Amino acid sequence: MRKYLLKRIFYLILTLFIVATATFFLMKLMPGTPLQNEAKLTPSEKAAILAQYGLDKPVWMQYFIYIGGIFKGSLGLSFQFSDQAVSYLIGSRMGPSMQLGGQAMVIGVVFGIILGAVGAIRKDTWADRIATIISILGIAVPSFVLAILLQFYLGLKTGWFPVAGWQGFLYTILPTLALAASPLAETARFIRTDMVDVLSSDYIELARAKGLSKFGIVYHHALRNSLIPMVTLIGPLAAALMTGSMVVENIFSVPGIGEQFVKSILVNDYPTIMGVTIFYSALLCVLLLLTDIIYGIIDPRIRLSGNGD
Amino acid sequence: MNLKTAAKVTAVAGASLLFLAACGSKNSSSSSSSKNTATMAAQAELPTMDLSKSTDVWSSNMLNNTNEGLYRIGKNGSIKPGIAKDTKVTNGGKTYTFTLRKNAKWSNGDKVTAKDFVYGWQRTVNPKTASQYAYLYSGIENADQIVDGKKPVSSLGIKADGDYKLVVTLEKPIAYFDKLMGFVNFFPQNEKVAKNYGSKYGTTSKAMVYNGPYKMSGWTGTNLSWKLTKNNDYWDKKAVKMDTINYQVVKDNSTGLNLFNSGKIDDTVLSSQQVKNYKTNKNYKVRQTASTFYVEFNRADKDAKLAKAFKNKKIRQALSYAINRQQYVKSTLGDGSTVSKGYVSHNLAKNPETGADFTADAAVPEAVKYDQTKAKQLFKEGMKEIGETSLNIKLLSDDTEGAKKSTEFVQGAWEKLPGLKVTNQNVPFKTRLSRSQNGNFDTVISAWNADFTDPISFLSLFTSDNSYNNGKYDSAEYDELIKKAEGADANNKNARWTDMVNAEKQLMNDEGVIPIYQKSEAHLTRTSLKGIIWNTAGTNYNLKYMSVK
Repeated sequence: MRKYLLKRIFYLILTLFIVATATFFLMKLMPGTPLQNEAKLTPSEKAAILAQYGLDKPVWMQYFIYIGGIFKGSLGLSFQFSDQAVSYLIGSRMGPSMQLGGQAMVIGVVFGIILGAVGAIRKDTWADRIATIISILGIAVPSFVLAILLQFYLGLKTGWFPVAGWQGFLYTILPTLALAASPLAETARFIRTDMVDVLSSDYIELARAKGLSKFGIVYHHALRNSLIPMVTLIGPLAAALMTGSMVVENIFSVPGIGEQFVKSILVNDYPTIMGVTIFYSALLCVLLLLTDIIYGIIDPRIRLSGNGD
Repeated sequence: MNLKTAAKVTAVAGASLLFLAACGSKNSSSSSSSKNTATMAAQAELPTMDLSKSTDVWSSNMLNNTNEGLYRIGKNGSIKPGIAKDTKVTNGGKTYTFTLRKNAKWSNGDKVTAKDFVYGWQRTVNPKTASQYAYLYSGIENADQIVDGKKPVSSLGIKADGDYKLVVTLEKPIAYFDKLMGFVNFFPQNEKVAKNYGSKYGTTSKAMVYNGPYKMSGWTGTNLSWKLTKNNDYWDKKAVKMDTINYQVVKDNSTGLNLFNSGKIDDTVLSSQQVKNYKTNKNYKVRQTASTFYVEFNRADKDAKLAKAFKNKKIRQALSYAINRQQYVKSTLGDGSTVSKGYVSHNLAKNPETGADFTADAAVPEAVKYDQTKAKQLFKEGMKEIGETSLNIKLLSDDTEGAKKSTEFVQGAWEKLPGLKVTNQNVPFKTRLSRSQNGNFDTVISAWNADFTDPISFLSLFTSDNSYNNGKYDSAEYDELIKKAEGADANNKNARWTDMVNAEKQLMNDEGVIPIYQKSEAHLTRTSLKGIIWNTAGTNYNLKYMSVK
């Protein structure tokens, strides 16, 4: 186990290094400078300002300076938020995105499992059909459409929830719901398919023959076995949700990281692009590692070893 | 089992949270503006509160209302006294002596003195600060050399003579110097505070000090809401009526409208779709900006055939006549923007003698007229003159929704001309800029917005040696007129005005660029909000005299 972990951590660092390198050079291929007032500066003014930021040096030198900075624990200063440390920017923007992502994840997965289980148990009844319709809608309706509808009906028309803003728990509900639809739909479809299989297997027949209650069978035997493959789904899903959604954050005026990342690319804010990319990659790697570890714990058939046999 | 309990707890918790939240109280739909309090929407984040580093609209708006320079820009760009009580101009317009008021204070209790101006100005031109607006200092003694790192910052033409006298020396008279003094990059800065916070100065509302009508609080440097509260240390606090102005960043227009309709905010910007439904609303208000969108031709095009075509006046005129601007602003834009009356924007500057708008004095109606018959005729003649039968030109612009609509409209209009084929190129903003500057385009839809309320902020762009003259417009007469306006006639308001009027006429008669429209913002602003001063150029909002009735 320890050997396995060490090996995985080594790969994690290697992955991050490759991601950082590739991002750095791709980013430098983008035209333009990170200057905000670029349209009004003459070439000599631009050159003087760029020199202040060390952007006049050859790209390879900038690369080594940047990587060196990372080893010293610095992600640099943002350009779009003049002189704001990128680590502070990510730190303060990450919280809301992670909170929304986490909440959406919990709601989506819990209700998805219920919906999927109901669909599987009541296969081919009206309950199953409703569950299927909900999951198809959840996948087909883009989150921004849902966000706009939720904002208009539950925010403006009924006044139940705040329309937009970020001043407490009440403000997180609509964006959470908008984000939860897709994981809910995906979980429901996944669980339903898996449970339909499990429910027709021999050991379920045996449990039934033993005279176990219907709930007992579903809960102890069918559902728990169907949950194992879910773990595979949850890792990347969590990463996708927690890295923030630009559209949902914009619609509900959430101070999250999703939009910052997109904007930093548009305005050539190099340090922010790098910082957020590295952070996202690290998050994804760690979540995948966790998924694998959890897998090993809940499914005894899978053993974690460094040999991969 | 753990899994079992965990699943139960989460399910119950999730369900009850939703239920509880759904029982929340219903919001009232009245306005959020109560006595002396209002909430405004900002359309973008606040990137900085550092006076030297502000380049964007929102930091400029916030700084202008929380700080004050020698002058404050009032209604219609008028110059109102700020920290300066009295001004003497001597030495042929090259020396300004400002007497400062003694009752001006910073929000930390310090007095505002001439040294604060010296420090602030020196900090902005210091190459280490890397201010992107330092170029506005050009013309103040030694500013250009200091920005280039060739002279020490102490050599800047600004000296404190005691605490309340400030002497500024210029290299040559600058006709719009008083207007610059109302621009945030020329405001004083408190050295003690700036040094105390070091690199954190201006990165949060706390790491800043204020000498203007309001103080800012609640801005963490990255969040989306903050507050302006009345500054009791402000010298003219009697004039300030508002206790609190809340700001909420709202980037999505439909969110803005929902917030406005639910009474949470008192001002929002409308999209063109929303304008259609709210045009007759009593809260509807159009705010014009000094921003002109125009087509530039690349006279140095790599394609020799196109370079020849763009040098032909008849072809340029034909391309202008072909565009139905009225229809464009009405049906395609629909956001309150107006047809350009010329290159220099409307409501920017007034004739010093008659008070007439610059665009009225310098009008060349034919240059912005729609006439398809004439367009076809001129195009045919122009093509004959250059000996071609067909042209294939690319039209470059941004890749935003609005820019795409613009290129499609212009493409549609131009392709009605016989033998002309147009290909649209919609690219990201930074790409468009670098391609424009490198001359890698045929035609481009560009925008220019004025830094201060003087036509020269537009006109200086098209002198033949200007690095931002991307299309290489080259007219000796034009260059001469601009030179006179910035040099020989700088001290003679009327002669300078005539120079600029003639320069604009020259540019328009040449059809040097094709002006299309002037950008406006359509707002819903509650009628209860009074006294909001909006200027088209420089800093838009002056909220010193704002009130709620």
